[in-house]
Amino acid sequence: MRLPLTSRKAEPDAPGVRPEMFWSLAPRSDREAGDAIASNFLFHAFPAKVSKAAMAWNYSFWLGTISAALFFLLILSGLPLLFLYVPSVERAYQSVKDIEFVITFGSWIRAVHRISAHGMVIAVFLHLVRVFLTGAYKNGVGRGQHREWNWVLGVVMLLLTLFLSFTGYLLPWDQLAFWAVTVGTNIASAIPGIGPTVRELLIGGRTIEQATLIRFYVLHVVILPLGLGVLFAYHMWRVRKDGGLARAEHETLAERPIETPVVKTKTYTLLGVARGQAPVIRAQSLEAPDTTVNAVPDLVRRAAIATLATFAIVSILSVFIASPLEEPANPLVTPNPAKAPWYFLWLQEIVTDTTIRIGSFTLNGAFVGGVLLPGLLVGLLTFWPWLDKSSHLATGVWLPRVRARQNTVFLLVVLGILILTFIGMAMRGPYWYFYWPWEAWPDIPARI
Amino acid sequence: MSDAHAKAPTDRRDFLLKLGAGAGVAALTAQTAASLRSLVPNVSYDSPTTVKLGPPADFPDGIKFLPDDRLFVFRQGNTFHAVSAVCTHLGCTVRAEALANVQTVESGGGELRLTHRFLCPCHGSEYKGDGSNVSGPAPKPLAWYRLSVAPDDGQLVVDLADEVGTDFRLTLG
Repeated sequence: MRLPLTSRKAEPDAPGVRPEMFWSLAPRSDREAGDAIASNFLFHAFPAKVSKAAMAWNYSFWLGTISAALFFLLILSGLPLLFLYVPSVERAYQSVKDIEFVITFGSWIRAVHRISAHGMVIAVFLHLVRVFLTGAYKNGVGRGQHREWNWVLGVVMLLLTLFLSFTGYLLPWDQLAFWAVTVGTNIASAIPGIGPTVRELLIGGRTIEQATLIRFYVLHVVILPLGLGVLFAYHMWRVRKDGGLARAEHETLAERPIETPVVKTKTYTLLGVARGQAPVIRAQSLEAPDTTVNAVPDLVRRAAIATLATFAIVSILSVFIASPLEEPANPLVTPNPAKAPWYFLWLQEIVTDTTIRIGSFTLNGAFVGGVLLPGLLVGLLTFWPWLDKSSHLATGVWLPRVRARQNTVFLLVVLGILILTFIGMAMRGPYWYFYWPWEAWPDIPARI
Repeated sequence: MSDAHAKAPTDRRDFLLKLGAGAGVAALTAQTAASLRSLVPNVSYDSPTTVKLGPPADFPDGIKFLPDDRLFVFRQGNTFHAVSAVCTHLGCTVRAEALANVQTVESGGGELRLTHRFLCPCHGSEYKGDGSNVSGPAPKPLAWYRLSVAPDDGQLVVDLADEVGTDFRLTLG
């Protein structure tokens, strides 16, 4: 008797590779019953053997592991903050101030949380850049591979990381928080048709108030981390089921079947009088012994080094870099200039520059720069593996010639985002006017 | 499913399984729908849109900024009008900056002295003193709201839900 939830092809694409998301809940044999455990992602974080080239520091830079380590650190440092922070508009700011100035080690724990969050945005972004430049979303020669699905998961996880940051910096309920949410949710309401409804659902009413804070708080501490955790587990599981990192694929492609030397066998014929050829066995080995190593201890050791180094660097940085806290949220006064955190500054720059006027017809930059362009960018990113028609020989190779054009375009887009970020950081002053980084800003009274 | 099932699609075991699974799915769907619906607010605790601003004598000739209502109230002699301080781009509060030279423009409601311009700190939109957008990403002019006089105590009253044209003036006798 099968449960209707589980659908299953009669034949798997390849032994050990399951094309489905879930394993059978109603095994038909002992073998399937065992597979239900063995194919379970919880037990398959590591493969038994791993390609040496895929573990090279200068192939992946271990950015995925570093992202995961930072996520783990965020959960770890978030736990004490859960006990200390109060999600109420009257008390949120004071409780963050207490964490910063009253509680023993409070400012360090908050700094660890904040620096890990910034670090995670950087690490996840660089991870995506690395995967793109190495064509690691491409499938190689293995059967049943679906690396493109993992790329899509990765894009979703990048968005979740950014949304986690967005909901996180709202929580102190300071000026940055209040105006970031004002601008962010107004961008949401620029979506044609459903926009105002989306905004109302996000902030739990028409004005940014207690309902908004509690919504963002629950998203930040429960729903988004849970979602990210589940996706992360599935992401790792897929890496293993797709045959490991794409670099290993390249190794397989370069691999030649190795003839194992014919072993001289002592053969006896009946009474030793018969003559002729004795049977010999010719064999080939595909698993060249010097390209793979056992995961334990080699892979475990390197993962541990990457994780512990991340922990150490974040812990030390947090001693020296204090977390800022602006003035308490004041709905009456918009800070001048009002800047988003650095990783959203390129968006702030785009919404500034994209109001389009054709005659009397005006298209708000909030829609063009806040919804349309980022939407197109994310859409293109998501479906890129299906648009990339380059040879499977370019899988898992840094900057191959056959992908030169798309890598150049990708790098130009990345460069554009970095330039816009820099302009937002260093070249925008009061009233979002343009200033060179070395120019002093004029004195503008804080209030009128 | 095996051939036996195809011939007898509703044996008791199969029927009960489908019934159970279906009930489970229905229950889960209802739970999810109820949970999501509970997040849609039924009551809005927004402040009322009709606000008393104070007696007309409190307003000096020229401009007065009311941060609580995000509103500029202008007075020229005994005529009044009110312009929103909410930027039409992404909703930040614009700031008024005094002009060195006062301009005078003609509008539908009579002559208008422009003593200030408005600048948005978030994305650099700029508006003229009558609220019309000049530069930056702002897609449309700042809103003008209807002013009236409260019948009970003679205070100025603004209706933040009632946008009016730039020819609107409240003239006190």
